[in-house]
Amino acid sequence: MGATVISSANAGSNMGKELTIIVPVKAAVPNITAVRLDPVTHNLVREGVPLMLNPYDRNALEFALRLKDKYGGRVITLSMAPPSGKDFLESTIGMGADEAYLITDRVFAGADTLATSYTVAMTIKKLFPGFNLVVMGEETTDSTTAHMPAQVASWLSLPYLYYVVDGEVNMEKGTIKLTRYLEDEGVYEEFEYNMPVIVSVYKDSNPPRDISLNRKIQAKLSGLVKSVTNNELKLDPLCVGLRGSPTIVAKIEDAKPIPRKKQIFKGDPREAAKWLIENLIKEGVIKP
Amino acid sequence: MSQRFDVIVVGAGPGGLTAAQRLASRGFKVLVVERGRKPGSKNVYGGRIYAHVLDKLYPEYVKEAPVERWVRKERLTMLTKDSGVTVEFEAKATEHKSFTAYLSNFTEWLGRKAEAAGALVVTETPVDSLITKDGKVVGIKSGSDEVYGGVVIVAEGINRLVLESSGLAPKLQPSLVGLGVKEVIKLSRGEINERFNLDEDEGLAWALAGYPTHYVPGGAFLYTNKDAVTLGIVVYLEHGSKLDVPVYDLIEEFRLHPFISRLLKGGQLLEYSAHLTPIAGLKAMPPRLYGNGYLVVGDAAGFLLHLGVLIRGVDFAMESGRLAAEAVVKAHDEGKYDEEALSVYQQLLNESFIMREFNAFKNAHKALNNPRLYSDYVMLANAFMGRYFDVDGTPRRLWDTFMRAKGNLTLVDLTKDALSLVMNL
Repeated sequence: MGATVISSANAGSNMGKELTIIVPVKAAVPNITAVRLDPVTHNLVREGVPLMLNPYDRNALEFALRLKDKYGGRVITLSMAPPSGKDFLESTIGMGADEAYLITDRVFAGADTLATSYTVAMTIKKLFPGFNLVVMGEETTDSTTAHMPAQVASWLSLPYLYYVVDGEVNMEKGTIKLTRYLEDEGVYEEFEYNMPVIVSVYKDSNPPRDISLNRKIQAKLSGLVKSVTNNELKLDPLCVGLRGSPTIVAKIEDAKPIPRKKQIFKGDPREAAKWLIENLIKEGVIKP
Repeated sequence: MSQRFDVIVVGAGPGGLTAAQRLASRGFKVLVVERGRKPGSKNVYGGRIYAHVLDKLYPEYVKEAPVERWVRKERLTMLTKDSGVTVEFEAKATEHKSFTAYLSNFTEWLGRKAEAAGALVVTETPVDSLITKDGKVVGIKSGSDEVYGGVVIVAEGINRLVLESSGLAPKLQPSLVGLGVKEVIKLSRGEINERFNLDEDEGLAWALAGYPTHYVPGGAFLYTNKDAVTLGIVVYLEHGSKLDVPVYDLIEEFRLHPFISRLLKGGQLLEYSAHLTPIAGLKAMPPRLYGNGYLVVGDAAGFLLHLGVLIRGVDFAMESGRLAAEAVVKAHDEGKYDEEALSVYQQLLNESFIMREFNAFKNAHKALNNPRLYSDYVMLANAFMGRYFDVDGTPRRLWDTFMRAKGNLTLVDLTKDALSLVMNL
């Protein structure tokens, strides 16, 4: 376990202010097997599909809220989504975020991760220039690229640490000590950064807290979810949405489901368990 | 931090949202709490809404509501593995009596109506129980959150966990409910029009008995939407133990039945769902539909009228929502939401078509719960037709054919069952 101090270009610029944490979240498609792909663009069809908060983003938000609980400050969630995304942003307020921003505009539609990360990064830069921390989920459940945190960090020219499980802020020094967990190696690593810094949170850490009904009511009554369009953001239309997306999905193929073998073993439970384990090993489902 | 509302509605279905819309539009501060992702996402039904209530409540529905097709064709089939006897009624009149719709879309529309009237609809939030203080319901509990209201309208659906956990309804008995499973199969509009012999916005409502439930009390249904067909099975839970296969296998077998599979050929399964449904009329109602600080509407109140072929729930739910709203207004004018003031709800129900119909059909379930209807009579009808139309040179007189087809049924059974149906339905 080694501690490293890595400086970033605009280190220390936020000293003395309250801790500001931005949590970009995604409106994910809940049931990935039930959605349609556009036959021409091969993109996911999101219209008419109810959206939910990407589950791993809840762990990221929990990480941010724990820092807020300890060190004060404010947590702001934001998401680029169709107008129907307002509902799921309300649930981030329900968990404890102070306010939420829905980035929504026709011009942002059809974006790949590059265009999305650009839009998100530039929105953060414009609306919250004094932020200390950007916290994101490890990946999404509906596209699992894990591109976003790294790309947002690149656009903002800031350091990025992934698989983070814990953090300690020192507002006076403007630093944060971060712990990450490497699953395969089974080791924890510690880093110390000057803020601001971008982190993504290990998906099996920071189990999210409940969503509070009263906070959701507050979100609606006080309009805590705000919408921003490109009228306010004024991003270059060539860098956002479909036009800013170099990704081409060349081909999609259906995965053929493997037919079930429907084997039934009848008899003594002990024998059945033995039979089951032997067969699962034989099929390569489990290792001996 | 806890808020206070004039009215809290538990559940964003047709009943709860109608109550919410009515009350919000009269200036009441209304909160609707729904456990699903959006209004209607927990609703499951066969496929059809009777429009008479909408004419009164939301006359603009003809233009606005997500109507799929207007039902102009009613069909009833007694089905066996390889034959079927069908009665069909078709009307050319373009009167708007009932329509097929996706209930989730329809309810979402009602949700928008309620929100437009000023109600606050909070989704993805389960209500755990009611808060009772000095014998009066004063609010709801969700997780560690409490929200207070002058009166609570319980519109939680047939699986009434909130009423049960608050001691206001007993646990559901299997004899009161059916288990429904349903699939939505996508087909093109042209295929549906052609295969079901329908015009552009015409719909078919089809009830089937016998083979689909393996001759156990219950039935199958099929409705046509614009570019999808919904089909499903309902089994009376009380008789569920007589089934030789799981209910989800029944719907599979039904879909693969030669008469059905040719209608659905090339279709794509869009969604499947399952739900409990009240089947026992008056008996499915909780002991009280109102009390100190609360009212019960919709399926939670047991308001589903099941008459075999005719199955109505949404119109009762909406009407009970309307009456609950009216009762709340009256109680509010009296300045209190106690049991006495809210008893006007029961009075309004009694005067409405809801209790008139439920009382008229109070023994319908008893008549329909007769296992012979779903087995012996299905066999009889098919054996009779099969024999009668099988011309082979021997005379097929009606009475002889009938006597041979009736199998083990006695004429006394037949008379008794016929009378029971005629008297109770």
